Amino acid sequence: MTKQYAHPELLVSTEWVDMHRSDTSAIRIVESNEDLLLYDTGHIPEAIKIDWVNDLNNPVIRDYISPREFADLCGRHGIHQDTTVVFYGDKDNWWAAYALWVFKLHGHENCLLMNGGRKKWVAEKREMSTVRPQYPPVTYDLPTYRAEPGPIPPVLPGRHLRAYREEVLIHANKDKPLIDVRSPDEFTGQRTHMPEYPQEGVLRGGHIPGAVNIPWGKAVNPDGTFKSREELEQIYMNEAGLEPHDDVIVYCRIGERSSHTWFVLKYLLGFDKVRNYDGSWTEWGNAVGMPIEKGPGRVKSTAGAS
Amino acid sequence: MTVKEMIELFESIDDTMRMDILLDYSRRLPPLPANYQVQMLEGIARVPECMTPVFLWIEKDHSGMLDLHVYVAPEAPTVAGFMGLLREALQGHPVSEAAELPTDLVHQLKLDNLLRMNRTVGLSAMVARIRRQARELM
Repeated sequence: MTKQYAHPELLVSTEWVDMHRSDTSAIRIVESNEDLLLYDTGHIPEAIKIDWVNDLNNPVIRDYISPREFADLCGRHGIHQDTTVVFYGDKDNWWAAYALWVFKLHGHENCLLMNGGRKKWVAEKREMSTVRPQYPPVTYDLPTYRAEPGPIPPVLPGRHLRAYREEVLIHANKDKPLIDVRSPDEFTGQRTHMPEYPQEGVLRGGHIPGAVNIPWGKAVNPDGTFKSREELEQIYMNEAGLEPHDDVIVYCRIGERSSHTWFVLKYLLGFDKVRNYDGSWTEWGNAVGMPIEKGPGRVKSTAGAS
Repeated sequence: MTVKEMIELFESIDDTMRMDILLDYSRRLPPLPANYQVQMLEGIARVPECMTPVFLWIEKDHSGMLDLHVYVAPEAPTVAGFMGLLREALQGHPVSEAAELPTDLVHQLKLDNLLRMNRTVGLSAMVARIRRQARELM
């Protein structure tokens, strides 16, 4: 018998989505991809597109859209506070998990992820369409947030899901668990060393001291679905030494891949406190005076993983 | 359509039209000939700056004109559209035209605002790659 995920209700199958997709008064399906145009080549017929850059990021300062802009975005797509939003996308749902995390940051309660993402839906030859569905606009009540004085961004309802740089520094100094979900080359600092390849304009390579490298893709099966609870426990608990009551911070390059791991730890394994450091390496590796560790790092293993 | 005409066209339209054109060109990239597929499997000609797997060959045909071959992973129509446009503007043209591509082509096509930095790094790298390899061919 396979053990259930800690919060199985947050993950829905392609079959479930196929059965419920016409219930557009209660459910809104959202496709979020790395590629801006992929949705336009064909999507789940009822799905709308929410783009991580053009819809969710603030175009001027490096941050997410404001509560007002979030309410407008939802309202324009006919999403109410109590609408169940089902996310799916390319790259094994990494951008979908990111969009889901931003929705949670803004306090939207009912967010689900379609297991297997776009890849599985396509592989199963389920219905797709290039027609953009339109839903009657609604008024989405402004999320409750705490305004800060002057130009300081407001404190969003999902603030507890997010870690800022200063908090990560304190976290690292206390030797609390940090998971770096980038590829091994990015983690060791090899990648920015390649001449002529200014990947994302990061000035320094390496990782946050004490971080453990678990590439995000380890949590995924070849068909795009999440690995079983036992397999995930093996990776994150037995091999990386994490415990469900640990205070964990995850990060990657800009916080997208780590949203995927955040979802795994929080909802599939049921960890109490998991935060995503969305500033991630593009902030840390560029900021003045931040401590950096190079090389393979340490392996916090309790099960003899090498 | 020459590079100059392409820039003029993209200057005169809005983001929705730019996206439509990219989407259209993403469907026009011809399939990669078999001998290039072998090289691709060996990892030759990959553009490493692009997050999406992209492979690019810049060669001369028998009459000394540009001969471009491109492979873009299927889930990346934006990149495929950009490469489709470039191929349209350069295929069969003198090598010098590729060598003289504007380094800020992505900006001149007004794609930087639409795609933002995260998505334009790879595209600009491909422009640089085409320029560099074309200069080597001259």
